[in-house]
This record gives sequence, structure tokens and C-alpha cells, in this order.
Amino acid sequence: MDLFLQQILNGIMLGSTYAVVALGLTLVFGILHIPNFAHGHLYMLGGYVTFFFITLLGFGFWTAMISSMIILALIGILVERVVYRPLRDQPHINSFISAIGALMFLETFVVVAWGPQGQRIPNPYPNPVEIGGIILTQQRLLVIIAAIVLIVLLQLFLKKTTPGTTIEAVAQNREGAMLVGINVNRVSSMTFAISTATAAAAASLVAPIFMISPSMGALLGMKAFVIVILGGLGSVPGAIFGGYILGLIEALGGGYISADYKDVFAFGALILILAIRPTGLFGREEVG
Amino acid sequence: MLKLTNVTTVVGGFPAVRDVSLEIKKGEFVALLGSNGAGKTTLFRTIAGVLKPSKGVIEFNGKQLNNLPAHKIVMLGLSLCPEGRQLFPHLSVYKNLMMGAYTRRNDHKGIQLSLEQVYELFPILKERKNQLAGTFSGGQQQMLAIGRALMSKPDMLLLDEPSIGLAPLVVQKIADVIKNISKEMGTTVFLSEQNANMALMITDRGYVLENGKIVLAGPSSELIYNETVKKAYLGA
Ligand SMILES: Nc1ncnc2c1ncn2[C@@H]1O[C@H](COP(=O)(O)OP(=O)(O)OP(=O)(O)O)[C@@H](O)[C@H]1O
Ligand SMILES: [Mg+2]
Repeated sequence: MDLFLQQILNGIMLGSTYAVVALGLTLVFGILHIPNFAHGHLYMLGGYVTFFFITLLGFGFWTAMISSMIILALIGILVERVVYRPLRDQPHINSFISAIGALMFLETFVVVAWGPQGQRIPNPYPNPVEIGGIILTQQRLLVIIAAIVLIVLLQLFLKKTTPGTTIEAVAQNREGAMLVGINVNRVSSMTFAISTATAAAAASLVAPIFMISPSMGALLGMKAFVIVILGGLGSVPGAIFGGYILGLIEALGGGYISADYKDVFAFGALILILAIRPTGLFGREEVG
Repeated sequence: MLKLTNVTTVVGGFPAVRDVSLEIKKGEFVALLGSNGAGKTTLFRTIAGVLKPSKGVIEFNGKQLNNLPAHKIVMLGLSLCPEGRQLFPHLSVYKNLMMGAYTRRNDHKGIQLSLEQVYELFPILKERKNQLAGTFSGGQQQMLAIGRALMSKPDMLLLDEPSIGLAPLVVQKIADVIKNISKEMGTTVFLSEQNANMALMITDRGYVLENGKIVLAGPSSELIYNETVKKAYLGA
């Protein structure tokens, strides 16, 4: 029973990061109508920027994380401008190629700057806490709480504010958005900024728990992609639930069967869910 | 108010609008007649800034529109209610209308007034304000699209085939409202239609577009008796 609860908590923690990263990916999907294949790599860079601020500039954990979010927001804007916008009206394959160029650049840049080996951010909150007989470090609890705060804030932004609504409007009808006076390019920049900043937050939050390495972006990007498909492309609730589901599958499969195969469980679940529901868990039929 | 001089628009290598010149004065109510593929939508999208003209000059209130993006043109007071409505299907009716007022988002009082005005024109939008736009019927969606276009409080409204695909009763209702928008609200209206009968009944004058060119122009009361118009559009 304890093992079970322990794995559930681990799953929720993993799922929290996945949910935040997938949320960013799904928002950008709404705008571009293609996945941002460099998303995982931007997440990875976010972890390194936080690492840089802590180890080289001596920032505290929170200051480093917020600085990293700001820097990644700017990089996100740049990526949209340089990698995607010029190819907007061309076949999607061109954007894919351009994105692959960008992600290779990011990974190589990090290898050159910090080396190919993993790095560890010192854990700011290593003390254990006990919840109902389960022991976990404060940092793990923090990941869970911070992710929920981020998700709720993002939802409020999308549903309750005018700039947030413009993101939904552009995703639902680009021409309609232009015709009501929305600057579609500015909304694209804003969406990328939010997406990469939240990815940086997620990477920074888990960096003290797992190592950061230049190759972690590729795997996480792939998983976020899986989640977004699992939840239904472009669906916000789908990305959130898909994130938690994938985290739980990985943690339970890894804990009970074999940790070596946790990614197999994750990707296996994707194939299974898509076989049953091809539009994803929250995929909606076209209306209007 | 709106002046086009020798405007040509090429889409997909094809000149869908050729050498169009026209002028519409403040307060006028003008029809643009043309059959399938005549170029009405292309002309409207060019005026609204969705497409760029390859030749010619478009002026609105003395300001050249040629190189302005669509969102800046709305700010100048020219609003297009587009073909296919282009609503936000997963947003509520209310949010669709609020997005329509995006250019005046800080004028809360003004928005409230416009909202009441739109609700008065189309009471159904008020009754169903929390319903998702995508679940509306064709006629209701058209009403919402017109309402959304009005929320920017335009000086000039372009309506692209609002009657298309609607039942005769609904067409009549929409025609009444458009007339109201022109005559009571004082908005300058440019209405594109294949339904020449409806358009010529309510407008003051009209242009006839064929293969991207304006081939006829005149008061609606005369166009309605014109042989070419009769043959092409009135099934006579
Ligand atoms: N993207 C495009 N590529 C090639 N040709 C196009 C494109 N868009 C429109 N056309 C052509 O331009 C012409 C004018 O089309 P347009 O949609 O402006 O006509 P319309 O008068 O609005 O017609 P309808 O009454 O069917 O809406 C048509 O012959 C159409 O086939
Ligand atoms: Mg048309």
C-alpha cells in the first residue's frame, strides 16, 4: 500500500511537469497548427539557464527560475520569428525541417557551453516531509504545488482575460481574428513566450531532483508530443489530464514492473489510447 | 469614404479582381452583385486587408489602405463580415461579440452600448449568449457574424453574401436588419450578394461584377429592370 501511494505521488510529480510542458506545446499547436518540435529543447535550455544563474551568478533558486523564464520567453519569441513565421504560408514540411535545425542548434549549443555530461542544481529544499505516512522531499511537493499554480494561472489567463481570449480566437479562426482587429503576429509571439517560459519553469522545478543533460530535451519533447496527441491536439484540458495520466502510467509501470521500461509503458499507452479513440481523450469533433 | 482606383488582385496566379474602380460615399447603401466566382469575396478581402492588391489604390477616408494589415484597417472603422462567417466556434456567443469589440477594448461604456444595440437587433444572441458559437444554426451564425462586425462600431460595414444558404424567411429577417443598420444606425454599408432580388430591394445603388470586372453600375431601382441583371440574377 505504501509503495502504491509512493508511486502515485511520484506519478503526480512527474505528471505535473509533463502537464505544464504539454500545455505550452498545445497552446502553440493551436497557433501554428503544427507541433513545435523544438519545445523539449527549449525546456532543456530553461533548465540550463537556471543552472547558470545559480552556479555562476549565485542567484537564489526562485530568482534564477524567474530569470530563466524571462530569458526563455524572449528566446521563444525569437524562435517564432526566425524558425516559424517566415515559413508560415509554406508546406508544413519546411517548418519541420527548420524546427529540426533549431533543436540541433540548441542541443549543440548546450553541449559546447556546459559539456555533454549531466549537471545537478543544488536542491534548495531537500528536507523530507511526511504526508499520510508517505515521505517525500519538500522539493517534490513544491513541484506538484507549483505546477498546479501555473496551470490554474494559465487557465484563468486564457478564460478570463482579453489577451488570453485572443490566443483562443486565433487558434479557432485565424482570419476571423484578423478581421476583428487582433494582431495575429503579436498573439503568436505572446503564445510562444508563455509556452517557453512555462517550460523553463517546469525544467527549473525538477532540475534539483533529476539531473539536467543536453539530451533530456529530446525525450521530454517526444513525451509532451505524445501527451498532446493523447489529450487531443490543441486541447488544453487534454494536455493537463494527459500529462498526469502519462506521469502515473510511468510511475506505476516503473515501480511495479520495471523502471527500465517506464518509457515503453508511456508510449505503449499512447498506441492503445489512440487505437480506441483516434481523436485523443479530449479531441473534439469539428463544429461550425 | 471608400475609393478604389484600378484595383487588381491576383490569387493563386489568377487575377480574380481586375481593374476595379468604385467610390462609396458616407451613409450610402450599395450592393455588389455577382454570380459564383465573380470575385466578390476577393474584392472584399482585398479592401479589408486580408489580401494585398497587386495593382491600384484603395483609400478609406482619404487614407491609403494598400499596405495596412487587416487588424489596422478595422481600427480605422472599416469592418468586414466575411464569407463563411469565420466565427470562433468554441467560444461563447458573448465572447465572440467581445472579440468583435477588440479594437475598443478599453472603452467599456461604449462596448456596453454596442452590445445592447446588437442584442436589440438580434434578441436570440442575448438569449443564447452563453452558448458556443459553433452549435448555432446557419442563420444564427450569420446574425452573430453581423453582430460581431458591428461591435467594432464601424463607420463602414462590408457584408459578404449574408443570405447564402439561408431559408427565405431568415433571409428576409437578415435583410430587414441590414436595412436597419444602414438607415437607422447610419452605417455605410457595402453588401455583396448573389441574391440580387434581395439586395436590390434594400440598397440605393449597385455594382455588377463579372469575371472580376465591374460591368454595370447604377441605382438599384434601375438595375432591377436591367435586362442583363434580370437574365443573370433574377431568373427572368
Ligand atoms: N486561392 C485561390 N487560388 C486560385 N483561384 C482562386 C483562389 N481564390 C479564389 N480564386 C478564384 O477567383 C475567382 C473569384 O473568387 P471569389 O471567391 O472572389 O468569387 P465570389 O464572387 O466571392 O464567389 P461566390 O459567390 O462563390 O462566393 C474564382 O474564379 C475563384 O476560383
Ligand atoms: Mg464569395
